[in-house]
Amino acid sequence: MRRFTVLLLGICLATTTASGGGYQVSLHSIRNIGMGLIGTSLTYDASSYFYNPGAAAFVQDKFSISGGVSLLMARTTFQPKDVMGQYNLEHKLNTPLYFYFGFKPFEDLSIGLAVNTPYGNKLSWGDEWQGRYLIQDLSFKAITIQPSFSYKIKDVFSFGMGLVFALGNVELNKALPLEGQSGVDGQVNIKGSTYNVGFNGGILVRPVKGLNIGIDYRSRINMVVDEADATFTVPTSMQSNFPDQKVATSLPLPANLDFGISYEIKEKFLIGINLCYVFWNVYDTLVFDFKTKTAALDKTYAPAMYENKLIPRIGLQYKVNDIVTVRLGGYYDPSPVPDDYLNPQTPSMNQIGMTAGLSVFPLKGFSIDAAFLYVMGFEREGTYSPENFSGTYRTNVYIPGIGLTYNF
Amino acid sequence: MNDMKKLIYILFSLVILAGCEPKIDEYSPDAGAADFTTYVAIGNSLTAGYADGALYTSGQENSYPSIMAEQFKFVGGGEFSQPYIDTEDGVGLEVTPTFDIRLVTKRILKVVPDKDCAGNPIGTFSLKPAFAIDNPDQAVLGAQLAARPTNPAPYNNMGVPGLTVKDLFIPGYGSPFGNPYFARFASNMMATVYQDAVAQNPTFFSMWIGNNDVLTSALAGTDALITPVDTFALYYNMAVLGLVNSTNAPKGVLANIPDILAIPFFTTISPQLPYDNVVLTAEQAAGLNLLYTMYGHPDIVWKEGKNPFVITTTTGAWVQMGPEDIFLLSMPTDSIKCLGMGIANPVTLVPYPIPGKYVLQKSEQVNLQNAITAFNLIIKNAAELNNLALADMNTYMKSFETGMTFDGISMNTRFVSGGMFSTDGVHLCPRGYAVAANFFIDAINGQYASHIPHADITKYAGLKFP
Repeated sequence: MRRFTVLLLGICLATTTASGGGYQVSLHSIRNIGMGLIGTSLTYDASSYFYNPGAAAFVQDKFSISGGVSLLMARTTFQPKDVMGQYNLEHKLNTPLYFYFGFKPFEDLSIGLAVNTPYGNKLSWGDEWQGRYLIQDLSFKAITIQPSFSYKIKDVFSFGMGLVFALGNVELNKALPLEGQSGVDGQVNIKGSTYNVGFNGGILVRPVKGLNIGIDYRSRINMVVDEADATFTVPTSMQSNFPDQKVATSLPLPANLDFGISYEIKEKFLIGINLCYVFWNVYDTLVFDFKTKTAALDKTYAPAMYENKLIPRIGLQYKVNDIVTVRLGGYYDPSPVPDDYLNPQTPSMNQIGMTAGLSVFPLKGFSIDAAFLYVMGFEREGTYSPENFSGTYRTNVYIPGIGLTYNF
Repeated sequence: MNDMKKLIYILFSLVILAGCEPKIDEYSPDAGAADFTTYVAIGNSLTAGYADGALYTSGQENSYPSIMAEQFKFVGGGEFSQPYIDTEDGVGLEVTPTFDIRLVTKRILKVVPDKDCAGNPIGTFSLKPAFAIDNPDQAVLGAQLAARPTNPAPYNNMGVPGLTVKDLFIPGYGSPFGNPYFARFASNMMATVYQDAVAQNPTFFSMWIGNNDVLTSALAGTDALITPVDTFALYYNMAVLGLVNSTNAPKGVLANIPDILAIPFFTTISPQLPYDNVVLTAEQAAGLNLLYTMYGHPDIVWKEGKNPFVITTTTGAWVQMGPEDIFLLSMPTDSIKCLGMGIANPVTLVPYPIPGKYVLQKSEQVNLQNAITAFNLIIKNAAELNNLALADMNTYMKSFETGMTFDGISMNTRFVSGGMFSTDGVHLCPRGYAVAANFFIDAINGQYASHIPHADITKYAGLKFP
């Protein structure tokens, strides 16, 4: 074991990588994380309400409850172009949570609730770093609450749908290149929250026993913040140009179209693939519309220019015995951000995810689930051209997670 | 129990993994074909780190050669010594309206009350550059300017405010009868700037010089003081040849002269004050025509509606301003508002043309620009003939007329708001000097296949606001 630790340490030093694609978080079920985040065609528990409400009616038990938490630790290094020195993201622990509940009042009908955090971004570069006029720290979190139903027609086809209520809050800090007499930068803080509604609908087809084909579409939700608070700290002589005020902005949560196939062999072994198409192109510009316009403050447009991307995923599950189930998986997540718009607000790069998971069933129907996801990004050089900020980014993400599932 | 141990090991291993930062190759500096051991910077006020109308300590600390020398340290550069002046308020030279020399402090941005023509505050305030100390004690400033630097000679930064190309070779330029900014650190009274530079046996040099060969004239609102092109060529080439053939056969970088119209001193007032801002009724026009005829200038004709201001030319003639003539930042705009400057004094009823030193006429601009073009050709040829790097500041500064952005900081050549020039409208602020230093570094890297890292310009302050 000691040798194993030393080996890992060696890997660490040789490690050379990566991050998260945009601001979508895919940590919604410890069981699914363990097998490469393939969920669209699976019917094991109430997490289907998020991955594909169409699949939920195929869950066998009358009740299904699942909840869990991931401990997301992103490690990012930045080398500014042509300048000595490197910067690291401050170590922040993000903890995306989920909770699902499903209930079948009749054999063919299921109703349920999904609560989770499918979008978010939290990072801090510190107050003094070279990119502080673009971003110092950012926290964005969207929680969705989705009541849903799912209906099965024979044992061949089911469909389901849910309304998605999204609650979001955002806070960001950045420095302004406007120094006071002591040479201290100006500062702006923007903070706001909002909510909106979308939908999540899908179908599942089971042409033969063991084979599941699922399709799911989660709609775009536009998180419009009409009245965020903008607070400025600037030299006295500039205060009339930077009054504290309300600012309107919006951030689109992109639509997802997921397609999944899985095949179960003798109720022992499962293999599945998933194709996830993310409609990132809705995020083309981040607009801040200041309510009180001055010579220095107007409507600002920060181009984002995200591009639609397809994420292929594969996962395996093996039921060792009635007590232990193990899982493996992997995926490739291409960055939606073009090279000219690579922004330290979301240091995005192509990445590979490698996953492993384990469920232990101390009782029938009750499992303790654990998973580990290692996300390895590929070193990426880019420029946020509107602000002429260039450099090379590399991120590794370590995500252990633990959850409980109870079907009865 | 054994399982427990395994679990602890696994968890421990994961913590180790999460503790490591991803690796990216660091920038790898390389001197290339140049040797930066002893770097000497030759130049004028820009090289000295002069800013805000004065020479002061922190301005010198942020001179572009000092910023470059910090970056040279990554490729074998040695210590870089500067002749520090011991004052943060600074010492600048100004010519008074009666042609006396007056010592002033640096200017800083202040919020000052607006006043009416009688000098009474009208209740509003403006943010504008103002002297750090009004009416400073001339003896104190004089002593600060005359005091030798407390850090020992020699000084790698040989930037001397006011220096022209010819001045490099004038014996006695560092004497009490020469330039006080050189006298304060010249090795001896008869030493020339060139001699003190070469005596340091540089392995690398920068030379940004020639600005004053046009700027001194332009700042005085005339084209009469431009250095003749053949004089410029003679001394410029003498300096370059002397340097490249000195003991260590140094490599170096030359920089050329920016267009005067890229400098806020010449571009700030006219966009706010049109040349023909004299709006008259028919009666007023008739009155002025009578007045100007009385004073012997019947050729100046006033008419109803818009009229150009009247100015004096370098030869003393009175003319009406042309649409492309420009006001200088030094012009007292209060005199236009309150004393009828450009028209006639409303109290004494005497015609009052705008003195020519506050205006650059189109023909003067053309002559200045032609001189810059001629000088820049000499500089370009000198760089090419001697295999020296050339920092094309003329072209580079033009790109700042529309504005450039670095690391989220937008800069342009506008006065104060542009964030690049200091409060004197001629010299740069620390951030502007850092941008210039990076441009020099690009030129050096291009010429000598070196990899000198850029300075992080976000570490250098822009203008400081109250």
